[in-house]
Amino acid sequence: MAALRKGLLTRALSRGIKPGICTNIIGARAASGAPQGMLPGPYPKTPEERAAAAKKYNMTLEDYRPHPDDGCGYGDYPMLPDKSQHERDPWYQWDHPDLRRNWGEPIHWDFDMYIRNRVDTSPSPVDWRTMCKHLFGFFGFMMLMFGLGEMYPSYQPVAPKQYPYNDLYLERGGDPDKEPEPPKHYEI
Amino acid sequence: MHPTTLTLSSSLILVIAILIYPLLTTLNPKPKDQKWAVSHVKTAVSTAFLVSLLPLMIFLDQGAETIVTNWHWMNTAPFDINVSFKFDHYSIIFTPIALYVTWSILEFASWYMHSDPLMDRFFKYLLLFLVAMILLVTANNMFQLFIGWEGVGIMSFLLIGWWYGRADANTAALQAVLYNRVGDIGLIMAMAWLAMNLNSWEIQQIFFLSKNFDMTLPLLGLILAATGKSAQFGLHPWLPSAMEGPTPVSALLHSSTMVVAGIFLLIRLHPLMENNSLALTTCLCLGAITTLFTAACALTQNDIKKIVAFSTSSQLGLMMVTIGLNQPQLAFLHICTHAFFKAMLFLCSGSIIHSLNDEQDIRKMGGLQNLMPLTSTCLTIGSLALTGAPFLAGFFSKDAIIEALNTSHLNAWALALTLIATSFTAVYSFRVVYFVTMGSPRFLPLSPINENNPSVINPIKRLAWGSIVAGLIITANFLPSKTPVMSMPLTLKLAALLVTIIGLLIAMELTALTNKQFKVMPKIIVHHFSNMLGFFPAVIHRLIPKLNLFLGQSIATQLVDQTWFEAAGPKGMSSLQVKMAKTVSDSQQGMIKTYLMIFLLSTTIAILLAMS
Repeated sequence: MAALRKGLLTRALSRGIKPGICTNIIGARAASGAPQGMLPGPYPKTPEERAAAAKKYNMTLEDYRPHPDDGCGYGDYPMLPDKSQHERDPWYQWDHPDLRRNWGEPIHWDFDMYIRNRVDTSPSPVDWRTMCKHLFGFFGFMMLMFGLGEMYPSYQPVAPKQYPYNDLYLERGGDPDKEPEPPKHYEI
Repeated sequence: MHPTTLTLSSSLILVIAILIYPLLTTLNPKPKDQKWAVSHVKTAVSTAFLVSLLPLMIFLDQGAETIVTNWHWMNTAPFDINVSFKFDHYSIIFTPIALYVTWSILEFASWYMHSDPLMDRFFKYLLLFLVAMILLVTANNMFQLFIGWEGVGIMSFLLIGWWYGRADANTAALQAVLYNRVGDIGLIMAMAWLAMNLNSWEIQQIFFLSKNFDMTLPLLGLILAATGKSAQFGLHPWLPSAMEGPTPVSALLHSSTMVVAGIFLLIRLHPLMENNSLALTTCLCLGAITTLFTAACALTQNDIKKIVAFSTSSQLGLMMVTIGLNQPQLAFLHICTHAFFKAMLFLCSGSIIHSLNDEQDIRKMGGLQNLMPLTSTCLTIGSLALTGAPFLAGFFSKDAIIEALNTSHLNAWALALTLIATSFTAVYSFRVVYFVTMGSPRFLPLSPINENNPSVINPIKRLAWGSIVAGLIITANFLPSKTPVMSMPLTLKLAALLVTIIGLLIAMELTALTNKQFKVMPKIIVHHFSNMLGFFPAVIHRLIPKLNLFLGQSIATQLVDQTWFEAAGPKGMSSLQVKMAKTVSDSQQGMIKTYLMIFLLSTTIAILLAMS
């Protein structure tokens, strides 16, 4: 009798969830087969629809802001600020510390881009324009200088080999009686 | 087979077998004994080192090199792939050095990682990496080289992300894989070109057949591969990020062995590059910009491992410059000497970090000269070797490179950049030594400072010996294959030393000036540029992934639907129809009488014309 009542109670508590043994015990369920009320819907036009959408996404009415209705297919999904998980407090006791997220929090449309392994939107010490300017300026300057360096390469001065004894006049079979012309030698 | 050749090849294959044996024992389901890591893995590596000395001695005595083709693996019509090993000058010298360094690092890791519950797996990964690295350096064909190449890349990923619960470590491992992959595109392109045009992946055949071809495309592919693997400018951010891994990983992979794989590839295939001035110039300029950029980044870092990582990147740039100078043997010499002192610098850093309770910021270290005398001495020796102090290991390679640079006919800006980077090396090395060993301690009094464990001390000492004598031993015993320029003015001869001393003096002067800390963070533009790594990661890691992911997301969720269901479907068609309808209806003003009159008139005129 008690077991029957307990079963009824559990089933009553989990009303609205897809029936199954596990759901009756732990209340957890898969994302598939969600009831119609939990799925994203069309753009909310009336205040009642807005309130229902805010409740669905576990947000307050003041915080809830849908994407603009411009035909891109966002529906009533909330438009959350484009801030990545890097910007969240690393020391706060999040429910999921690695994701820096609490249970039930609305998920950003581009959440997979904003996890800690991906794009970081946290403010940098130096603003974006300065960073781009400096980086690409540096690179451009280097390319320019390399181009100039190719046009004007560095080298050690070289000259043809200079021999002693009047350019080895006798060793090269010169006439020993004739006086050779003194060759012009240069010093580098 | 000649006994020399037989001894040479069988000892080297024995080395590989000794290294693979512990890996095979892990397949046994029986649990390993407690000391497996030390008793099996470290012993295997030290045995392999001793065995590999035999071919080294044979090579020293007789100059014998062998190429061994063991097994015909597969073929498609005329294209063969074999298992072939090339035990030449490069692999015979590199193998004992890699094994010596690995031996020291494994001994150190038995202390560093002793509190890790998965230490056995760590050692297994390191051993797997070592096997892949040796496969890479002894490969005689591109396929085997590629196996080793990918192997070291994957092991790098697994080891950087060793503490996988840490999101930063995961990001760093991912970065390493992605940047290496971009480089791999170049290698695969080169391999595809070689397969298509030369119909061979065997190195000897490639050298023979490439005489009549314009090799620019595959060479650029190989340079891209080296850029990725050896962290040259453009694909360099993964190397400092890789410091998220444990220090033994940084010491082995990201200083001595894996990162030199790219340079090693270029050294191996250097005969292809000798006559291609575009490839050589690319190497020279890329190396020069890398060495300067990363040395400049190292100047203002505060994490000791990051400084050593940027120093590694800078030295890799210098090796690339040497390749661009057409001096592969000097580049190889620098690889060998660099392995010793860089691994030692990392081991000293690891010892200091553990002793200060995992403190990595040099601003919170100090006065370790009296507290950890051996480690700080070896740190100083390693730094001196790095800067090229005369007659230590680094001197023989670095000085020879700079002499070759000064006396070559080449890009003047590359020369200037390399000299400036050499002085920066002295600056940041002095900075590390000053902050770590000198002054008074800036850490908490109760730190577990400990130099008593022989597992820490012996590896550092061994590598210190290597840092002192390795350069001399290698240079004294191996003849250069290209004639070095012997005659140059005194200034050029002493250029490297002068530039280093200038750097050192500037660093000492700056230290004296800034000894009293006035500002916490200077607001200087150049400081920001250097501290934020040239803004390269900040810009590139935010811009490119965001664009790609955004584009991917838009394409996946909106573009396909909007295109096929709307623009190419009803909405598009209806908009076209509406346009047409508007154009046509504009012309239909509803003036029936006028239209009828015009119709009658034009019909009449047409009939009259036809009748006449």
